Amino acid sequence: MKLGYTIIYVADVPKTVAFYEAAFGLKQRFIHESNLYGEMETGDTILAFAGTEAAEMNGLAIMPNTPDGPAAAWEICFVTDDVATAYERALSEGCQPVSAPSEKPWGQTVSYVRDLDGCIVEIASPIQGSV
Amino acid sequence: MARRIEAIWSFSACTSGSAVILPDGRCDIIVRNHASTPDEVTPIITGPATQPYRIDYDTGDQWFGIRLRPEHGAALWQDDLGNAPDSVLRGPEALDRLPSLAALHGAALTLDALAQIIPAQTWPDVEPRLTRAIDILHASGGRLRIDALAQFVSCTARHLNRLFRRNIGLSAKTYAQLIQFHRTLKLITNGNVPIIAAAFEGGYSDHAHMARTFRRFGGFTPSGIPTDLSLPDIPPK
Repeated sequence: MKLGYTIIYVADVPKTVAFYEAAFGLKQRFIHESNLYGEMETGDTILAFAGTEAAEMNGLAIMPNTPDGPAAAWEICFVTDDVATAYERALSEGCQPVSAPSEKPWGQTVSYVRDLDGCIVEIASPIQGSV
Repeated sequence: MARRIEAIWSFSACTSGSAVILPDGRCDIIVRNHASTPDEVTPIITGPATQPYRIDYDTGDQWFGIRLRPEHGAALWQDDLGNAPDSVLRGPEALDRLPSLAALHGAALTLDALAQIIPAQTWPDVEPRLTRAIDILHASGGRLRIDALAQFVSCTARHLNRLFRRNIGLSAKTYAQLIQFHRTLKLITNGNVPIIAAAFEGGYSDHAHMARTFRRFGGFTPSGIPTDLSLPDIPPK
């Protein structure tokens, strides 16, 4: 078994795909014609978005993400050599700042923003030796 | 228009029988006739249902129906919505409620005509926050507390509850309980989840809590789910 997908349930799939293209420089792989599912080009593990209606169709009960209030207890993390530029780009495209880039004792540069739905997105440099 | 009507449907019985209709808090407009006598119609208007009911039918019976989205119950019942839950108007009573139904018989009885049956000017405005609250409540499987739901849409629980009563005809809590019931039922019937696990995932505090709800909304126990249920299985659009 391998981790194939991270799927985030969102109010508006096309809007979220466009947001992730603008804020994090991802490319979309496709959006289903129903507008209830879309995938980004993220390599072996696909970042995807599904409409909240799809949760009910799948028999799931979810707590929708919202920018008003604490975030859900998980995050996604993008890795880049230029954290400062990626962080500024994310903010200029509408992300809320949480923590500006700073260097950790173990040598990694780390920053946090929240996306349009309030989900936590970390932008960090590769850990030395693990690139 | 897009968010007013949830489903447009018709059904012709090819055998006789009966079916249990489970409550889903929606209002329906239904016209019933028989294939051999299409001009003899019975118009039926239902209030938001919270109780199951059984219908009996014969070969050749036909139904044409529209199901309103939950927040549009007031379009049909106007100021009487408070008395509408679990009431069913048939024949002359239904025509009093919605006189335009009188035109729907014989060749004029079509799903297109039924979709236009509520005059445009009688659809009341619905606050967008109520529509959003309904969507969030469905996504959460009815498990969100009403005060938490109110925070999502930036109003007080009191105001949100008023919107539910004014537009749906049910309290927010009753509507949430209906969603929770349907989801938990589907966990058992579609997801093949064991009953105890379904009670937990459905958000019931214990098996007894789930059993009470199943009796109230379904008239059956979790271990005695009838096989001839008619499940309202249409998610909000």
